[in-house]
Amino acid sequence: MIYILEDAINGVLMGSIYGLTALGLTLIFGVLKVINFAHGSLLMVGMYAAYWAIILTGVHPYVALIIVAPVMYLFGYYLQDIVIKPIFKAEKDVREPITVIIVTTGVWYILDNLTLLIFGPTYRNIQDNPLKGKMLEIGEMFISVPKLWGFVTAVVTAAAVYWFLQKTRMGRAIRATSLDREAASLMGINQFKVYNVAFGIGTATAGIAAVTLVPFYNIFPSVGVLFDIKGFIIVVLGGLGSIGGAILGGIIIGLIESIAPQFMTATWTEAIVYGLFLVVLFVKPSGLFGVKYDW
Amino acid sequence: MTRQNINRFALILVGVVAFGLPLVLRSPTYLHILILLYLYAYLTSSWNLVGGFAGVLPLGHSAFIGIGAYASTILSLQYGISPWIGMIVGGILAAIVGILIGFPTFKMRGAYFALATIAFGEGIRVMVENVDNLGPLKINGPRGLQIPPTNIGFGNYMFAGKEPYYYIILVMLLGILAITYFISRSKLGYYLNAGGEEPEAAMALGVNVARAKLIAMAMSSFFTALAGTFYAQFTLYIHPKSVISLDFSFEIAFIALIGGRGSIAGPVLGALLLRPVSDFSRIYFGSTLPGLHLIIFGTVLILVMIFQPRGLQEPLTRAYNRLLDKIFGGTEQKEITHEYS
Amino acid sequence: MNILEIKNLVKDFGGLRAVDTLSLSIEEGQILGLIGPNGAGKSTAFNCIAGVYPPTGGDIYFAGEKINRSKPWNLCKKGLARTFQIVKPFSSKSVLYNVMVGSFVTTDKTSVAKEKALNVLRLLQFEDKKDERAGNLTIAERKRLEIARALATEPKLLLFDEVMAGLRPAEVDEMVQIIQNLRHQGITIFVIEHIMRAIMALSDRIVVIHFGKKIAEGSPQEVASDENVIKAYLGDEYVVS
Repeated sequence: MIYILEDAINGVLMGSIYGLTALGLTLIFGVLKVINFAHGSLLMVGMYAAYWAIILTGVHPYVALIIVAPVMYLFGYYLQDIVIKPIFKAEKDVREPITVIIVTTGVWYILDNLTLLIFGPTYRNIQDNPLKGKMLEIGEMFISVPKLWGFVTAVVTAAAVYWFLQKTRMGRAIRATSLDREAASLMGINQFKVYNVAFGIGTATAGIAAVTLVPFYNIFPSVGVLFDIKGFIIVVLGGLGSIGGAILGGIIIGLIESIAPQFMTATWTEAIVYGLFLVVLFVKPSGLFGVKYDW
Repeated sequence: MTRQNINRFALILVGVVAFGLPLVLRSPTYLHILILLYLYAYLTSSWNLVGGFAGVLPLGHSAFIGIGAYASTILSLQYGISPWIGMIVGGILAAIVGILIGFPTFKMRGAYFALATIAFGEGIRVMVENVDNLGPLKINGPRGLQIPPTNIGFGNYMFAGKEPYYYIILVMLLGILAITYFISRSKLGYYLNAGGEEPEAAMALGVNVARAKLIAMAMSSFFTALAGTFYAQFTLYIHPKSVISLDFSFEIAFIALIGGRGSIAGPVLGALLLRPVSDFSRIYFGSTLPGLHLIIFGTVLILVMIFQPRGLQEPLTRAYNRLLDKIFGGTEQKEITHEYS
Repeated sequence: MNILEIKNLVKDFGGLRAVDTLSLSIEEGQILGLIGPNGAGKSTAFNCIAGVYPPTGGDIYFAGEKINRSKPWNLCKKGLARTFQIVKPFSSKSVLYNVMVGSFVTTDKTSVAKEKALNVLRLLQFEDKKDERAGNLTIAERKRLEIARALATEPKLLLFDEVMAGLRPAEVDEMVQIIQNLRHQGITIFVIEHIMRAIMALSDRIVVIHFGKKIAEGSPQEVASDENVIKAYLGDEYVVS
């Protein structure tokens, strides 16, 4: 029994990190109405950025946030500005911008394979970092310390993004645009500037998620694909566009992944996750909690 | 010679070249590349029936390739049934699955539909990877199935050289192009286009949009599955990651979008442009610059979407028509303009 | 005989009652006008008739048959066609293509559909634009395309949802002419319109609704002098009693 509790706790911790990786996905969808297929790749870029920042300077992994988060913000900001904006301008009247989805897929392919070209297929990890393999002992339970840090970071980041959207001028502009982009632009809000900022913030949260992952996770060019698919599942479970839902959806996936192997072959858990995903899509596409925009 | 004759002549010329190529081109490598090119053009054309005409973005079509490949392979390995028959069985099975998956998904909006089809494709792959035996059927999980090349002969869909495979896939490709041509000019084609573009208006004009899409989905999955059997018999080895991969599904969609979805020539054009890039960069840079072709794919895709969102067939068709205008002088009323647009 | 009969139609959206116990009927061959201030529930009533929204209460009969929960495409096949207030052309397709989608209701053959579509275009003096991309049309032409498509389905009853909104006066006159021609062909017509001049000239009878309720019904002259109607449009303070 205690093992299941231990697995559950570790599952919640890991799940909250999954949620953090999907936070940007849900935010970008909420504002641009576009599923960013390159989100996993952005996470991957963040992981490489964090990896090199830590390796080259030798600082504590979380200190790398100071570099990674702003760099990723700028990366996302200009990615939207240069690559994605032209499509929006070309297809102003289109309600379902399918072509934008495709363009983000193109970005995914380019980023993943450029990384493969530059850094090779090698699996990397940060050998001597103060968090690696650390366990917190509570009674007979072992709780992973780097995942605990990740959990705290996920909750703080989600709260910060929420606060930003509620309390700042830019945040309000973002919310207004997400509700009705025509009305917002009539009110003098620059729609594309808002898109840039939202994309930047979404990418920055991917960078933060990357920093929480590198102390204990392998880094390789196609690592993003794993989180891409997981991210899609999480945001649909939690309700596309919902920030709280992303974290909760992540925790559900984390719990399934940690507890289900007690009862079945580990590889079947993946099938369960896809099954749950399809059921939610068919039965309740607004997500398990029925909250679409909680901001 | 009139304009119509010239079009007919060009088509016949392309046909003659396609059928004659293996007589001139003896290199198995090049033949292999051409076979894959036709295979992708065929797959993309099948995808186009639903992804192009019905205006949705399916990203899980490799599941149907898998259904076709596994159905015919299991039937021939375990029951000695000719893959030709297995191919039809696989096709029908895929059509049923296509309708089942289409029923709930076609109600979804664009992004949700794309996600649902991804999850469906990946879900099928995970299932196959986890199942060794499904009742009496041996699926063999992640290890896949090997087809021993023992009974060579037409009835067994198995040949020593590459030429027969070349002709089979060429005929399949011509078949699907003919079908696409007829559908695009039929009631179903009009209904699919209308329903894809403005569903509400289409419904008010008597179009049962959901039904039209389901018919398209059934046909698309049927024809996609046929290619699965071809792939199995051509490579003689199938496993979940090869036939039911996300990459497969995405590449089909990429080719369609770059060539021009919803048009007849688009898929062929896309395959003609992209497949050689992929094959030659793998041959020449595979070890030094891995993934180069995917970088090129991604870049081409983004540029096409920004500058020619309807695919490359549009400017090329226009250029071709202008060339004919120059030859014949003046602009003859073109019957085909609205069908291509 | 009444081709369309609505009895106590109710449509709620959440707590909002958009159409409130509305009853009306159209005789075959008539033109009936439906007017009312913005937000009166005209388009909602139309959408209930055309099968877009299932009614919350009441009954709708088309040619004697109850059609409460019929789907739009089935209604179209039965002979009930409509246009949209916000035009919805198949923008990437030609005008001819657009109209052919409609004419496929009565045939499965492409050649027949094309012939029928061309006839409709000829009737509306729109044939010269047949190869034009629908997305390139002017507003007036788009409205005309809406009518052409609906007409191609060979309807018994046509619902026109503000086909004249946004047109110039000369174009409005032309549209009135078109609608009158259609009536002479024996098609019953039900119009929502804001342009009073047009609806007064066209309609045999007019129904006025306000907040989803019928407040007046009668000939154009009767309705125009009705006190309730003036109140609804101009507000109470304008009524001189």
